[in-house]
Amino acid sequence: MKKTKQFIYYIILLLICLVGVVPAVSALSKTQEAGISDHCETIKDNLKTIQKSDARARVYLGGRFETILNKYVTPLNVRLVENSMSTASLIESQNTLTSNKTKFTNDYVGYQQKLEELVAMDCKNEPASFYEKLKLVREERKKVEKDVQKMKTALSEYVELVGKLKERLNAESK
Amino acid sequence: MQNQNSSEKKKLERGGRNLVLLGIVSVLIALMTTGVSLAIYHNSGDIYLDRSRPGFLPDEEEIEDENEKEEEKEYDFARDGKLTREDMEEFIKNLKEETKAIDEYKKPFGEEVLSDERLGIPVEEKSAEEPAEVPMEEQL
Repeated sequence: MKKTKQFIYYIILLLICLVGVVPAVSALSKTQEAGISDHCETIKDNLKTIQKSDARARVYLGGRFETILNKYVTPLNVRLVENSMSTASLIESQNTLTSNKTKFTNDYVGYQQKLEELVAMDCKNEPASFYEKLKLVREERKKVEKDVQKMKTALSEYVELVGKLKERLNAESK
Repeated sequence: MQNQNSSEKKKLERGGRNLVLLGIVSVLIALMTTGVSLAIYHNSGDIYLDRSRPGFLPDEEEIEDENEKEEEKEYDFARDGKLTREDMEEFIKNLKEETKAIDEYKKPFGEEVLSDERLGIPVEEKSAEEPAEVPMEEQL
């Protein structure tokens, strides 16, 4: 009875080990490893081009976010306060937009740092660790993409709020 | 007389040495402060937000586009004065143009850009085939 129990424990232990080991082993096949080593320079060139186009995207989007915050959101809230109108929801919206923009910038910096580390790696001799790093970079990129989506959602909510304010002014002027 | 001459000569020699020392120390301080500034510039992440560094400068077309856009719109919403319906209409119209420009940017930071295929890494199913070496400039 005791031996059967022990046997079951061993089987469970073996299964746990297999579950842990299999994905790590199958993450990169020999063909892929060879492919990375052989095309190391091309892959690096592609990564450098991505770096450059990402910088362009960041400047474009970051600039637009900055313009909206500084030329629209903040001045409107200041003017509403001056006009003694209720601004609670718009101030909350301003805070959301500001924190989203900061998160976008910070996540972008984190992503670029990882991407730079990846470009500096020796993919010719260490294809496996290069691929592991690439997976990390992909995760970081996903974060930035999510931040842009969040910012877009926050902006459309803001446009909606401003629309309501316009309706209120319309009603008051009648 | 001879003593006076030799003491003046010594003073001159010491002055020259001090001048050389001053030069060396100045260069060392300049190197040190430049190193510290560069380290801060890099570690703070500002380097990644700066497009004026070599290799990241905007293309000529990009600069022209930006200049055109800047000329097009010079909208400023006043922070004071009575808020009218017309003000809000103009505000919303301009704001929507800005949000439209953001929406029009095609798939910013899309994950497919870093996919195995796009980077030129062989994909499992096609392991027997040669990876396509398409330059990234054509893909983006």
